[in-house]
Parts: sequence; C-alpha cells; structure tokens
Amino acid sequence: MAAPKKLALVIGSGSVKCAAALGIQRVLERADIKLDMLVGCSGGSLYAALLALGYPTEKIAEMSSSLWTHDLTARPNRRALLQAILPGIVKFDERFSLRDDRKVNQRLEEVYGQHSFEEAKIPLYITATDFMTGEMVVLEKGPLLPAVRASMAIPLIFPAVKSEGRMLVDGYLADPLPVGVAIREGADIILAIGFEATNQSRLSSLGRYAFQFTSVMSNNLLKANFAFHNLAHHSEVLLVVPEFEERVRLFDTEKIPYIIQVGEREMEKQLPYLQQLLAA
Amino acid sequence: MPNKKIALVIGSGGIKCAAAIGLVKVLQEEYLPIDLIVGCSGGSMYASLIAAAVSAEDMQARTLYLWTNEVMKDYTSNLKATQDGSVRFNERSGLVDDSVMNERLRTTFDGLTFENLAIPLKLVATDLQTGEKVLLDKGPLMDAVRASLAIPIIFPPWEIDGQLLVDGAAVDPLPVDVAIQEGADIIIAMGFMLSNRGRMRSMTAVQQQLNNIYMNNILKSTYAFYNLAHHAEIFPILPDFEEPLGMFDTDKLPDIIARGEAAARAELPHIQRLLAG
Amino acid sequence: MEKSFELSGKIGIIVVKGSVDALTAPHLATFISEQIAAGHTRLVADLAGVDYTSSAGLRVLLGAVKETRALGGDLRLANIQPDVKKVLDLSGFTSILKHYADRDSAIGSYGG
Repeated sequence: MAAPKKLALVIGSGSVKCAAALGIQRVLERADIKLDMLVGCSGGSLYAALLALGYPTEKIAEMSSSLWTHDLTARPNRRALLQAILPGIVKFDERFSLRDDRKVNQRLEEVYGQHSFEEAKIPLYITATDFMTGEMVVLEKGPLLPAVRASMAIPLIFPAVKSEGRMLVDGYLADPLPVGVAIREGADIILAIGFEATNQSRLSSLGRYAFQFTSVMSNNLLKANFAFHNLAHHSEVLLVVPEFEERVRLFDTEKIPYIIQVGEREMEKQLPYLQQLLAA
Repeated sequence: MPNKKIALVIGSGGIKCAAAIGLVKVLQEEYLPIDLIVGCSGGSMYASLIAAAVSAEDMQARTLYLWTNEVMKDYTSNLKATQDGSVRFNERSGLVDDSVMNERLRTTFDGLTFENLAIPLKLVATDLQTGEKVLLDKGPLMDAVRASLAIPIIFPPWEIDGQLLVDGAAVDPLPVDVAIQEGADIIIAMGFMLSNRGRMRSMTAVQQQLNNIYMNNILKSTYAFYNLAHHAEIFPILPDFEEPLGMFDTDKLPDIIARGEAAARAELPHIQRLLAG
Repeated sequence: MEKSFELSGKIGIIVVKGSVDALTAPHLATFISEQIAAGHTRLVADLAGVDYTSSAGLRVLLGAVKETRALGGDLRLANIQPDVKKVLDLSGFTSILKHYADRDSAIGSYGG
C-alpha cells in the first residue's frame, strides 16, 4: 500500500536568512511539487506562516523586507535600563526586555493581524518555548499574530508573550530546527532548512562573550536534535544548510534577493533526489 | 553477560554531582566492576576521584574543602567593574579571580594524572571559540577538571594545548557518547537537570534561566540521540531534588549523597537482571 | 513482560505489561511486526501495565513506529506511567510520538 508521501518543510531559526525558504519554494513550484505541512521556528515562523497562507514568494519577500528593519530594535525601553540597574527598586520580571516592542507588534499586526491558523492552505505549526520550563510549545490554532510574535520573542531583547498562563519566548531555545514536529505530525519526507549561529571572532566585551556562549549552546542544541531526529525518522530528512558567501547581518533586508537565490541554489542540488523519493 | 564492558558517566550538575558518591557506594557493595569513567563539568570532579579509587568519606571531605564561596573571590567587585566599564572583558576573562579555586584544585588533585589512575578516565570540556567538544585524557587531572568546570563568564577559561576551554556542559552535559566511542556495552549514566527559576527578579536571573534551558535541552537531545545510537543498554540515573540547590550548599551533602544512592538502588535490579541474563 | 493484541474497530491495540528491556524487547518487536504483517498499521500501544522501559526497549518501540509510518499508519501511546514518562521525555520520544492520557483518546485520534 503505497500511500502518497507527505512532504514537510521545516524552517529553522535564522532571522533574515530564513528568507532562503522562499528559494526552496520557488524550486518546488517550478518542479510542480506541493508541500503538505509547514513548520516554523523564530524567524522561520514569519516565512512558514506566509507560505502556508498561500502568498506568492515575490509578495512574501516584499512583505518581509518592510517588516524586518533596523528600527524594530532601535527604540530602547527606558524602564528596562532602570530595571537592569536597580532591580530591587524598579520592578523586574520575566517579561523584561531591553527594547520597546511597540514597533515590532505594530508591523506584525499589519502583516499577520487579519490571519489565523485555520485559514492556512497548508497545515502550519509554529514553535515557541515555555520560558519557565524550557519545553517546546507547538502553536497550531487561533490567530497567527500572537504565535509568530511568541516564536520570535528573543529573550532579553523582546518581552515574552503571555498565553494560557504560560510565558512564551523564542522557539530556538527549545529546538532551533524543530524537525520533531513534522515527524510527530506524520510527515514522510522532511525538508529542513537550518542555520548555524555565527561564532564571534573577537570576544572583546562581556556582551560579545555572552553572545558567543549562547551561539555555542544554540549550535550544539541544533546538532544534537538533528542527530536524534535523523535516527528517529522512518523516512528521509533532507537537510538544507545554505552557505552565504556574503556576510548577512540581522537586519540586512536589502540582501533578501541574494538570500533567496542561495536558497534556490541549495534546493536545486537536492531536487533530483527529492523527486526520486517522491516517485519511489 | 560476563564480558560486557561497563562504563560510568557522570554529567554536569554543580553540587548535585556529589550524588555520584552515593552511586559508587551502591556499585561497590554489589561488586560491579567499572571499566571506564567519563565526567563533565561538576561531574568531572567525582569521575576523577572515583577513577583514583578515593573512598566515599574522602570524597566528601575533599568536596567540603574545595567548594566554599571563597572560590568566588572578587566576583561582586569585578561584576561592578565590568558593568561600569572600568574593567574590560576578553576571551580570557572571568568575573572571579580564580587564584583560590586553582590553589584548592591543585591540593585536591595533588599528584594525580590520567596516567596513574585505577580506572581509565575521560573528561569533557568545550572549546570556547568553536563550540566543539574537547576530550581530555592526558596529563594532570587538575588542569582537566579546572577546564571542564569553567562556567563561562564566572570563571576564566583554562588553556590546554593552545585551546581556551570552558564548561563541557555547553556541548555534552551527559557525555554518554564518549563511553559509546570507547566501546562500552553497559553504560550507567548519572545526569542532572538544572532547576528552573520560579521568579526572575534580575537580569542575571533571566540570563541564568536562559543558560539552564539551553543546557537542559542539550542534555535531553544528546541523550535522545545516544539512546538510539548505542548498541547495548544505557541506564539513566536521574536523582530527584525537590528544591533547587545553591552553588555552595555543601551542608546538604549528606542528603545529596543519599538521593544518589536511592536513585542507584532503584535502577540496580534492572542492571543486575541484564548482567545475569 | 506480557503482550496481547485486540481490535477496536480498525485500530489495533497492543497491550503490554511488565518491563520492556534488552531481554524482553525482541519478543515485543516480533509480536508487533506480526500484527503489522497481518495488515494492522494503525496501532495504539496501551502501556498502563508497563513499569519500566530501558534504552534497548525504546529502540524496539521506535522500530515499530517507523514500520507503521512507512506504511502510512502510526503507533500511538496511551496510559504512560509516570516513571516510564520520565524516560520517554529524556529520550525525546514524547516529542516525536503521539501520546494520550487513555486508550479511548488514542483510538479517537485516528478519527474513525
């Protein structure tokens, strides 16, 4: 009984680099291959959601360019500075952040405000992390805005999102590339696009040092999870790890066309094997 | 299974790692021979002492000597100096002046090297610059233990063979893979989940919760992989602790050891059944 | 370890009791494979009576899950006991398998 194979695309965390998923979608479209499931984490959730809603890749590229700009984090949260210096005097809590999130909320509202999971043309799963327990939370119902916002709530930068009594933060803390969700939801062939955090070349300040240590842990978590999922899955997991010759920084939205090209190039390499798998 | 190679792995977990003393008591009472010991972070200290055939009483005494808050020399003043910018931080820095800690580790592991141990030993650290796992199995134990438990930011990294090494917990908090690689069959792995913080009232607390989440998730996902990759049996031993322990709660040592012993006893019948079968 | 098989509509229920470890797991694997070979690919493992699972036991369980999934089915878990849940969590199984509080919800998850 050869049931049709279910194809999933899992987009891991990687900020603006996640736009490479649009390159994958372009290659799949040209080959007339349709996705049966989308999973997104952190920056990846922005693209997974728009792909699931059925927007064309050109439109998504445009929408995400205007969404993801430097002024999102440019506005410091003044109260936060006081909280950090005087935690006993100015009330400090788990939702603490260094940046004011009004702007990011407003931008996300413009793009996702009208949409819900139920409208998605392709089943969609977005991952966040329960900040109290460290466990993964899979969001799959209701309005998209709070889900996307929670999935990209980088701790200390943006405030956590309260949801059903939980405090949700960025999904990358639980799993930067949540292939496990696609396995559990019954995917056969899984395309997983992941990004390693870059190591800091010079650890010249406490901030850079802390950032480096976070990258080290995040990359090790990515590798360990992938090693497990690779053994645990009954079918094939195709890993796409785009290599960028040009340095892509957090808010390099002008590089989105280049990022998409790299995603396309990497997917082209995997396409013949994917087609064989789907035909088998 | 008479010819099976048995390995003991002791993971990271700060003061909780003393539970390994309770585990070893049980194994010795039951005459279970250990062929290899692997340790990470706080677990490195006990892995080393077990490998050196140090008695349970002596391990407790050495813990009490080594682990007092004097090893945190100048932490508070250095933290302030880093915050106000009067002290610059770089890759060799830590917030603690490590002179006291180093002195105590030298005394604790005086004369011990990997080459003169009763049982072969491997310890795990992390290369700060690349994030990769570094296996330590040569030379003085003091250097290896110091590197393996160098909690980043708090303690300065430790240099061995030109590599700046920090806490192994960032790459492999419960290094079962080292035992698999060394050809162990039965692997007894004692691991510790870090406690989540209930309330977070300072930036340091939030940062600490972040690190705890990472390390716990790395522990789970590495274990998940090892569990599938190993050809024989792994017995995980995870002692229960109802409340979070402070870094220097050595007054709770008897309780920690008792919990380690209880957790080991619960797993013992399964281990014995396998060895007999 | 004891094992038995029963049908609930089109869903096959594997009832397991005792300890699933290196010594017993191969028997369980053969037993599940036989059910799959007989055409039962939508399975529920009722673990109410399982008090211990070892790493070798878990690998067998996963082997059965992969076998059913490759045939378009699944193996879902019900009634996991607290001690077993702890090991399943640590081993990543609860994140890749579907698991339910009781047998009826596991059967219901296949949607008729």
